[in-house]
Amino acid sequence: MRISEQAKQLCRARILEKAAELFAARGFDQTTTRDIALAAGVAAGTMFNYFPSKETMAMTMVNEALAQGREEFLTRLDGSESLEEELFLLIGTELRRLRPLRPFLGPVLERSLSPFPRKSVCPEGEAARQEHLECVRQIMHRHGFAATPEDVAGTIYWSLYLGILASWTGDHSENQEASRGLIDYAIRTFVQMISGNTQGGDHAR
Amino acid sequence: MPADTRRKRGIEARAALLDLMPRQEEAARRRLAELVESVAARRPPTTSFSRLWILGSLQAKVTCAYLAYWLRSRWADADERERLKSETHLKAALELLGTMGYLRGAVMKLGQMLATFPDALPDEFARLLPALHFEAPPMHYAMVREVFLDEFGKEPHELFASFEKQAFAAASLGQVHRARLHSGELVAVKIQYPGIARTIEADLKNLRLLMQPMRLGEDWGNVVAKLAEVERVLLAETDYLAEASFAQTVRDSFTREDGIVIPRVYPEYSTRRVLTTEHLEGVHLEEFLDGNPSQELRDRYTHLMTVATMRMLYRTHWLLADPNPGNYIFMPDGRLGLVDFGCTRQLSDEEWQMQVEVEDALLRRDEAEMERLVVKASLYDSAEQMGRERLELIGRVIRWQLEPWLSDGIFDFGDEDFFRRGMDAMIEVTRKGFMRGMPVHIWTTRFILGARGVVYRLKGRCDFQGIYRRESGRDMHP
Repeated sequence: MRISEQAKQLCRARILEKAAELFAARGFDQTTTRDIALAAGVAAGTMFNYFPSKETMAMTMVNEALAQGREEFLTRLDGSESLEEELFLLIGTELRRLRPLRPFLGPVLERSLSPFPRKSVCPEGEAARQEHLECVRQIMHRHGFAATPEDVAGTIYWSLYLGILASWTGDHSENQEASRGLIDYAIRTFVQMISGNTQGGDHAR
Repeated sequence: MPADTRRKRGIEARAALLDLMPRQEEAARRRLAELVESVAARRPPTTSFSRLWILGSLQAKVTCAYLAYWLRSRWADADERERLKSETHLKAALELLGTMGYLRGAVMKLGQMLATFPDALPDEFARLLPALHFEAPPMHYAMVREVFLDEFGKEPHELFASFEKQAFAAASLGQVHRARLHSGELVAVKIQYPGIARTIEADLKNLRLLMQPMRLGEDWGNVVAKLAEVERVLLAETDYLAEASFAQTVRDSFTREDGIVIPRVYPEYSTRRVLTTEHLEGVHLEEFLDGNPSQELRDRYTHLMTVATMRMLYRTHWLLADPNPGNYIFMPDGRLGLVDFGCTRQLSDEEWQMQVEVEDALLRRDEAEMERLVVKASLYDSAEQMGRERLELIGRVIRWQLEPWLSDGIFDFGDEDFFRRGMDAMIEVTRKGFMRGMPVHIWTTRFILGARGVVYRLKGRCDFQGIYRRESGRDMHP
């Protein structure tokens, strides 16, 4: 008997849910795929049909959270935002969605989003990069800047963004408030750079 | 820019700087000018605090030169090797100033005061004094929204009927926005810059590290105690709920007839990082002065300010530790609004006892007792140990601070000679580095200077002694 699409979705969701619980409780590195299969009540072989590795599981959760964040970001805009503000809102909204996953994100993001050359590129990590940069490109376009994800501006933006993620993941302050200043600073640096403007950046008071 | 042009510009700038520096031995001046130029040439990365970072400008360099001059006077009699070592630390200190997030503005303004003396007009001083407060960087509305989501789980426009995106005033730790409650009241919403507590801690940690090797000798222990005091008071300010409860205490000390308004707090719209209070109609000092107010009105506000601060001091033993011009609202109906009680300091019983003893000695005109108290407040065992010069100078400052207590009838705070004498004495004390004293006196001094700056600009008068008698419940002639 073939299992229905709905049952597949349920099984996939259960695996992700159990994986998230175990990652949060034990840490990403201390959790094995066996543990997850056991907790989700599926055979290890079945689980691999859904997710080839625990990195894939974790990055799937990350991508889903980021996608929700981006969707929510669009609903928060009212059109009066400056480029700096829009980028700040985008990152802020994404990170808020990512917050429940924060306890185990360090090793996951390090492996999946590393910009250094690797033997095998994590496809979910690459998707995360492409989708975020596409959103940034659209924001920049709205403010009159042309950019492609692979150009210099895109590369510099991505470096800053990875720095933000790294700081935020390890930020022990309440609500990661210490990272807010960094996000603001990073975005202003980027906007000043693409504007060719060495003076500006500060908000009028 | 080619290297040669840059070098030439450097020389020109140094010449201009030399011209504006304190007159003292030529070699030392030259070295200091080079030092400041080399620090200014190395641009620190701009941050969101960059608004305050202006070391590139000549005025900022002069400011730094004067700070350097002041610090340098501490090792004036050291040998050459020691001096070189100290200059390395001095350079590091000036560079560090650029990385400070929260304290830099105040430090730069202090340097500006040292630099403009003695040529500055009292009016320039009076403008600078209240400006010596601490400052956080501004936030755009997107940042404000994120703070709200963290604090309330709601956006500002969900929480309030309306919310102005642009701040209307700066607060020491953040900024203030106007908003309207669903029930119709106009409110002022103060929002704290995220993570400012860490910035304060980092600034003070850096200060400690840098001041350590600066040959502060016997005063070092006192410096450490004062830095700890500064840190404690500034960090306490980051808890807006504590401020809300203090504002309530103060509010209860005034009645309708006093003409002094403390805005009510809305606890349901307040957290540790966001404080919502009643919005007071009115203007700040600058705008009030622009309207060219009558002498009668100036006197009235001077009277109200004196009553307000005396009542806080004598009833609750609290004082505003970081007074800034934004604390006072000149309301259209002639009342005085007092806002922003974040940075306050309550006197301990021991400190209060000292205050009472000083007042007693002063009112009895008991010079011997005054001297004993000046020595005690400066943390010395005897007048001999303290030294004549220090004793005389500190005594001069304290007597100036207390002068209104001894004057019968109307006291004129706008009197140029009075103001100038105080500034001369304060600057002299700072120049000599006579900074040793009880940590609490950082705040009493700051408070008196800030307030005197405001009433001097107001050119206001009041029956100070009469107000003192009423508020303290003391008899003037026991």
